[in-house]
Amino acid sequence: MSETIDIHAEGVEVKKSCCYFCHQNCGVLAYVKDGKVIKIEGDPTHPTNQGGLCCRGNIALKHLDHPDRINYPLKRKGEKGANEWERIDWDTAIAEIAEKLNQIREESGAEAVATAGGTTRTDDWSRRRFMNLFGSPNSFHNALLCWIPTFMIETAVSGWSPFETDLGGAKVIILWGVNPAASNMPGIHGYRGLQDSGLKIIVVDPRYSETAAHADLWLPLRPGSDTALSLAMLHTIMFEQIYDAEFVNNWCIGFDELWEHMWQYSPEWAAPLTWLTADQIREAARMYANNKPGCIQWGCTADQLGKTAGAGMHARALMRAITGNLDCPGGDLMPGPSQAYMVDEELEANEWLPEEQKAKQIGSDKYKLTSWPGYQIIADTAKETWGKAPTAEWMCEAHGPSVFKAIITGEPYQVRALLVSATNPINSYGDTKMVLESLKKVEFMVTCDYWMTPSALYSDYIMPIAGALERPIMHNNYGVTDSLIASQRAIQPMYERKTDYEFWRDLSVATGGAPEMWPWEQLEDAYYYVTYNLNNFGYAHSTYNEFVENFRFFYPPLEYYKYGANGFCTPSRRVELKSSILEQLGYPALPTWTGPAECEEDDPEVAAKYPLVLTTGGGFMPYHHSEQFNISTVRFLRHEPYFTINPIKAKELGIADGDWCWIETRRGRIKQRANVEPSVDERVIYAQRGWWYPERGPEGTDPFGALESNVNVLTSVDDEHVCQIGGSWANRGLLCRVYKVRFGDDAVDIETSIPGSLWGEKDIDKTAKANVEGGE
Amino acid sequence: MTRYAMVMDQRKCIGCQSCTVACRTWNDLPDDIIFNPVVTEGVKGTFPNVHQTYTPLICMHCENPPCTLCCPCKASTQDDDGIVWVDSKKCMSCKVCVNSCPYGARDASSMDPMFKSYVRKCDFCKDRVRAGDKPYCVNTCHQKARIFGDLDDPNSEVSQLIGSLETDRIFTELNTDPQVYYIKYLGGHK
Repeated sequence: MSETIDIHAEGVEVKKSCCYFCHQNCGVLAYVKDGKVIKIEGDPTHPTNQGGLCCRGNIALKHLDHPDRINYPLKRKGEKGANEWERIDWDTAIAEIAEKLNQIREESGAEAVATAGGTTRTDDWSRRRFMNLFGSPNSFHNALLCWIPTFMIETAVSGWSPFETDLGGAKVIILWGVNPAASNMPGIHGYRGLQDSGLKIIVVDPRYSETAAHADLWLPLRPGSDTALSLAMLHTIMFEQIYDAEFVNNWCIGFDELWEHMWQYSPEWAAPLTWLTADQIREAARMYANNKPGCIQWGCTADQLGKTAGAGMHARALMRAITGNLDCPGGDLMPGPSQAYMVDEELEANEWLPEEQKAKQIGSDKYKLTSWPGYQIIADTAKETWGKAPTAEWMCEAHGPSVFKAIITGEPYQVRALLVSATNPINSYGDTKMVLESLKKVEFMVTCDYWMTPSALYSDYIMPIAGALERPIMHNNYGVTDSLIASQRAIQPMYERKTDYEFWRDLSVATGGAPEMWPWEQLEDAYYYVTYNLNNFGYAHSTYNEFVENFRFFYPPLEYYKYGANGFCTPSRRVELKSSILEQLGYPALPTWTGPAECEEDDPEVAAKYPLVLTTGGGFMPYHHSEQFNISTVRFLRHEPYFTINPIKAKELGIADGDWCWIETRRGRIKQRANVEPSVDERVIYAQRGWWYPERGPEGTDPFGALESNVNVLTSVDDEHVCQIGGSWANRGLLCRVYKVRFGDDAVDIETSIPGSLWGEKDIDKTAKANVEGGE
Repeated sequence: MTRYAMVMDQRKCIGCQSCTVACRTWNDLPDDIIFNPVVTEGVKGTFPNVHQTYTPLICMHCENPPCTLCCPCKASTQDDDGIVWVDSKKCMSCKVCVNSCPYGARDASSMDPMFKSYVRKCDFCKDRVRAGDKPYCVNTCHQKARIFGDLDDPNSEVSQLIGSLETDRIFTELNTDPQVYYIKYLGGHK
């Protein structure tokens, strides 16, 4: 009980830590006594959360010493996946891993080593630094489902993604495919507060989400049809002439071509695709354009639409531009890279990666904007402008699903080693069965994680990683903004855990990297290198911890209309409504409609068998991605997976509230329980993401139940369903059917598959198949 | 004098259940004890004309608490500032008070060893409150949907809210005089 723990007792130190369970990084005060954290609470002086902490933030102490945590380096003893391990020490593990990687590099080239990352729990500039020094271009994240394609398209169009909403002065905000009331607690508080003083909120969401509940205008569209809505809103703004003509004349090029091009995308055209009325679309466009200044808040949906995604991002980028909402008070701000502190790109050592290795980046021949071809153009233009560039880690990566496929098929070449850091690919990457096959197949795999996940199970080595309270954390929005929030470690890592930075540094030196390339003994030393220049901005400090204790954050004075001096950071120095960068890469220079991955119009024969539209991938409390399922303090809130179905449809299908049902797409089927509720349209199924069952353990045919309720069994990463510009695949707008689990038909399908095989013979690359059969 | 009370602003509550979890971690509660659940009937209406309301529950720290009168060992008591709490050293876990509470706001954990069991309930984080802070569930709420303060202070936020807005209380007909006030809200997009 709390009375036994006195945070005001003598000898209790207060450390300024932060939460690391989502991207907000809310401030946490950690009370430390004798090297142990005895209590945590939200930091009332932190600019993000002002004392608030959500379910996840509050379980930091449960996470810190949870019995399931990995505390020592583990080396595989038995068969791959058999869960038999021996404990070894850190240095031995590093030496053995390095020896294997060097052997692979010698035999097959550095590119045969790939790394997969997760959401930010890590310092991925150090992973990139390792990869660049090692010589492989094949590092990747789930970045293509989370902001990166949006960032790159917006940056191609207007020089820097205008992602920072200047809400204080805004009159309207579109929360597009984002549900901050379940994913960004400080955010929804801010929006609602401003709503009381006049901010209008437009919510685009097929579901009556916690956020839609507070919208001034809610657009419940067909899942996956966001691009059609974007195009029709852009059309409305143009042809009702409610755009900012002065800004367009002075600062945009390509308006005439855009004018000609946009005729085709009227609200009447979009109405049947979006299930909205033309009037609803017009109302939204008018509300946005007539209430200037206004913001469009990015949401994950933008990047989870599959092949239709790129055109939607492009259209929204143009909506912002022609309404004159770029970098103006109350609009969407374009911070650019910080000139005051060291940005991530400067820590990545990208110049060490030889040109011929860049060319070998898997997927860069297909998805060019988010890999070396597109990134190089954008980085060069940015360096001309600021002398700095966007982060390469995240913005310039191998195509994850293509790497998994390369492990299986050997195309375009055999990837032999996979280093996994802070991700559980079986749950978080598309087409689970293909990913699982690939993890089973890969010759050598190392996982850095907190937990034994369904994916970590197939590793050769597992390295124990320090969590939020055990490491300093610096929040600088992937290194593409100009502000910074710094937090310190509360305690030294417990057991033999270390930070991921130490893993990459040790591995780099062990594989032959120059030790002088890693001059920072501790993460704090590296961070001090980052903040050092802030000494010149009135932030006098001589260590990183001093910066945290005395300042905590750095917000430069707001500067609007930064384009006024030198124009926008594009090749033409103007907002390129017709994008020269996209054109140069061989993509449509103007936003051009392609349908969702699967839809009734384009695939009537599929829709006949799978008549419902699935939307998934959205966050829900209390989990983040596939995390926290093993922490009972939050698991009791959502004990089992639920999908939402409209009562009318449920009645038609004989489904009662709470029934276990199969959700099936062309790729496979999963079990979730029915939440019968009128929060979705009769034609829509909303399924929860991320589910696995840590309590079931690694035994049995479906370890941790990772195939049973995991929505990625339902998704596709086949080339024809993936956005050709940015490489993202679809979680929203897939065709499915739903039926009750019945006795005799309740077995989980555990067969894994080679890429494309579930789509029928036409998709199987014969040579690929031969390679698979010939391999091993 | 001081009389502590809480206001629940249902206009602001988004049902994230942060308070529920925060209370459990701050007070280190066993898995079968919840002091402050957030309940909802779910989404009601016909799509897309729907609405949803969340009701955060907690001990009402009643003015006439039935749970203190019935306690045979004087473990369940109320202080002058209105806080109802259980002295775990005196409680023998007979659970008469558990049955007497119309709000279901107290229980003993079945995870405690048999002879160490005692009835647990919300005590408005009295240690924090008496050290000048607020109950932890109030601090943790990002939405500021829970407001805590002194009813005897006419300038406190709770007094101001109760004085200026229509508020509701649960089961007033039972004569318990509960001291948790709800600013009611029928959810629904505008």
